[in-house]
Amino acid sequence: MSIDVTRREFLATVAAAQGAFVLGFWVPQKALAQTPPAQTAPGAVWYEESVTPEINAWIVIAPDDIVTIRIAQTELGQGVWTSNAMMVCEELQCDWTKVRPQYASANRDAREKAPEWTLEVPGNGATDPKGGGEPAFGNRDRTGVSGIPDSLYRRMRTNAASSVKDGRYYLQLAGAEARERLLLAAAGVWQVPVTELTAKDSVIAHASSGRTTTYGRIAPRAAQTPHPAPDTIAIKPPDQWTLMGTEQKNLDVPAKVTGQTVYGIDVRVPGMKWAAVKACPVYGGEVKTYDFDAVRNLAGVRSAMKFPIPDPALTRGRVFSGGVAVVADTWYQAKTAIDRMPIEWTVPPELAAVNTPMMREALLAALDQPGRMRVDQGDVDAGFARAAKVVEATYSTPYLARARMEPGNATVLVTDDRLDIWIGDQSPQETRFSAAKITGIPEENVHLHLCHLGGGFGRNGNGPQAEQAIMIANAHRGTPIHMLWTREQDFIGTTYRAMGLARLKAGLDADGWPIALEVRTCMQRDGFGPDASFDVTSRYHVPNYRYSSHTTRFHVPVGTRRGVGQAAHEFYRESFIDELARVAGKDPYRYRRELIARTNLPYKADMIKALDMAAEMSGWGMPLPRGKARAIALEERGAEGNASATISAMVHTVSVSREGKLRLERVDVAHDAGFGLVNPLSVKKQIEGQITWFYNDAMHQGTTIADGHVVENNFHTFPLSRMNEDPPDINIRFFATGHWLIGMGHDRATSVQSAIGDAIFQVTGKRFRDLPYSRHDLRWG
Amino acid sequence: MAFDLLVNGGGYRVEADPQTPLLWVVRDHLGLTGTKFSCGIGQCGACTVHVDGRAVRSCSVPASVAIGKPVTTIEGVSPDGTHPVQVAWKEFDTPQCGYCQPGMIMSALALLRDRPRPTDADIETRITNACRCGTYHRVRQAIHRAADLMARAR
Repeated sequence: MSIDVTRREFLATVAAAQGAFVLGFWVPQKALAQTPPAQTAPGAVWYEESVTPEINAWIVIAPDDIVTIRIAQTELGQGVWTSNAMMVCEELQCDWTKVRPQYASANRDAREKAPEWTLEVPGNGATDPKGGGEPAFGNRDRTGVSGIPDSLYRRMRTNAASSVKDGRYYLQLAGAEARERLLLAAAGVWQVPVTELTAKDSVIAHASSGRTTTYGRIAPRAAQTPHPAPDTIAIKPPDQWTLMGTEQKNLDVPAKVTGQTVYGIDVRVPGMKWAAVKACPVYGGEVKTYDFDAVRNLAGVRSAMKFPIPDPALTRGRVFSGGVAVVADTWYQAKTAIDRMPIEWTVPPELAAVNTPMMREALLAALDQPGRMRVDQGDVDAGFARAAKVVEATYSTPYLARARMEPGNATVLVTDDRLDIWIGDQSPQETRFSAAKITGIPEENVHLHLCHLGGGFGRNGNGPQAEQAIMIANAHRGTPIHMLWTREQDFIGTTYRAMGLARLKAGLDADGWPIALEVRTCMQRDGFGPDASFDVTSRYHVPNYRYSSHTTRFHVPVGTRRGVGQAAHEFYRESFIDELARVAGKDPYRYRRELIARTNLPYKADMIKALDMAAEMSGWGMPLPRGKARAIALEERGAEGNASATISAMVHTVSVSREGKLRLERVDVAHDAGFGLVNPLSVKKQIEGQITWFYNDAMHQGTTIADGHVVENNFHTFPLSRMNEDPPDINIRFFATGHWLIGMGHDRATSVQSAIGDAIFQVTGKRFRDLPYSRHDLRWG
Repeated sequence: MAFDLLVNGGGYRVEADPQTPLLWVVRDHLGLTGTKFSCGIGQCGACTVHVDGRAVRSCSVPASVAIGKPVTTIEGVSPDGTHPVQVAWKEFDTPQCGYCQPGMIMSALALLRDRPRPTDADIETRITNACRCGTYHRVRQAIHRAADLMARAR
């Protein structure tokens, strides 16, 4: 790989101090160049300009055949670093063992326009296997929340589990366009028709003359060879994939098992100082006074400053808190000083009185208000009047933090005309916008260097870590500032999944089938996905269906968290279906199956397939010893429409001891493969990981509010499950369907929540409707 | 104040308060950033290193406890990722975001030193590190595989 020796002096001095010797700075990109090809690319990953001319904005091929593939999404454990590269490599037909991902430049993304040939999505949408599926690009938005339309990389955020769904067609096109130009260049050199050439594993061959060349050798010429008609280039449909669709180990894993990966927290810049912060625990609060004199003589301490509530216009309208920062030579010195520094807060009194019981009351009261009628099908009241039996249940889900493992951080250097920020960030354009607004430095001079994220689960918190770091660095112009939150600050700086309530009421006929259903859900006004999973249709067939969403106002900042409303709403829906089946005296699997079969939903066959497969895999109906139970649930995104969708069903086998100790013993997963999965290994990992994620939602986690602030602020009170709660047995099977998937990054394994609840009911006879279950008495016998 | 540490076989003179948690000495004074900070209260194990062969949560012990004792961090496990535990970790493509994995690997190494053939029960008792991505299922398989590889190498 070539290194641009003329690249900006400034960046050349940036070093991630790694390896055993702290004396010599180690420049990551140089080490990258020196490593042998066998998938050992070390940590630092941000964009570099290359000396070798790029073939197109995604692809640089060096003389030694190392292919740099630029990735415009952020790797947070979901595997995008590898799946994006696979989609390019599939078409480029280069040697996969010589592929090196590197982050795309957010500045170039904003500055340059997407090539014309990437603008039109080929094919006919979500149900066309030969096409590009159904990508969604946001409207032009100054804040960068939705990305910058028609920007170079189309979409630089990482959200909505959409990296593969949205990026596939143009990543395939990028690889194909480069391949065609490499072939044209070789044909030009050899003076033969391009149709006589073949390309495979970075080698171009002319069979009749026996001549070959490598991508590395022809790349400089290909870079100068435009394609005469790039809009005629087609992407390979799944039946022609050779790399896509195969299980590929993630390219960043070797660096992750040696500690070489550079996360934001690992960035080291010469002359850098560290900042520790304390923000007011009550959102909307600010610093009244702080006494720097009490700590200014502590070792290493340089300065202190207060900062205001970050402008809500920069944080999607959310009101976080003002706070104070201490800057010191090391972070531990800064943290020690701020812990000892007296700080007084100013808190709006009405917010300081807010607590969880009162919020629950407010949500319950809102449920009784008219709300917003979203669906009203048939005659619900007449259905209830005819019903042989009426069943009603109210469920609740608490506020939930993401609690990613890497606490929020960013390294920022502000000079008079330029800003550099190193950060793991799911929405880099939004952060560049914030940086420009806070400092007054033109956005084109804001340079964002993407790092891997130690967990994401929603714009790396949607919180104000970048804004805080920028405010601190702006007050220390010329000095790079690395701001790092404590775990406790991370719980203040994150956004939460909104606390929610739902009341479901069904009228059953004499045979136990629902003939009327009324669903009311409630969350705070700015909560995400208020109508998820209940919009348009009831999913399970009920001839008379009414759905309204209800809201109230709370001050806790809420955001996306591994999805939007879906996870909580699928808990409500699937729990209630279990309850109805029990009341009807019917098997919950067959009850679901019949109610799906009665619908006209476009993907009902896929849903039935998922239920049948999961039931069969689990040995559904086979006797279990006392204390063990199986429960099933359906998971869907997109089942209501004839578009992209992801359908799955899972059976969870759960044991509950007489002492109330619960174990998720086994999970059988039947999962939609759509027209094809790009990297089935990453998909399996996402499923396994989300089983653990929703197990934690179901069993352990809940954020409460007292005196206006978040109570659970570290892992002793916001628990994460460990090895001893991992299901010993996870079986995953895929089934092909006739649509492209929405995505895998969230809302898979939501079934854990309702299934554990129904298993507890089967074993103990007790039905719990408020998560998490660990707050209930699970003992029996 | 200055004190000496022996880390990954190399001697270092550290200019810091010896009460500084070992984590921050390793990360910020020695520049070994593979060891991670996450909870700061000894809960999650992302900061796990070995002191005198024992797994220690380095965020919660002062650097002074390591004076005169060999310290091993993830960077000292192997120079090139070829230790059987790392090989097994790669075979199962174990990490997702990877942030907790250095600590997880250090805990697995300590377990395998005490129990070369760990049972599932041993793993569940001894590996108490937290992983938010939910890699536990692969961690379990990778530990068994590492035990195989290490037995074969003996």
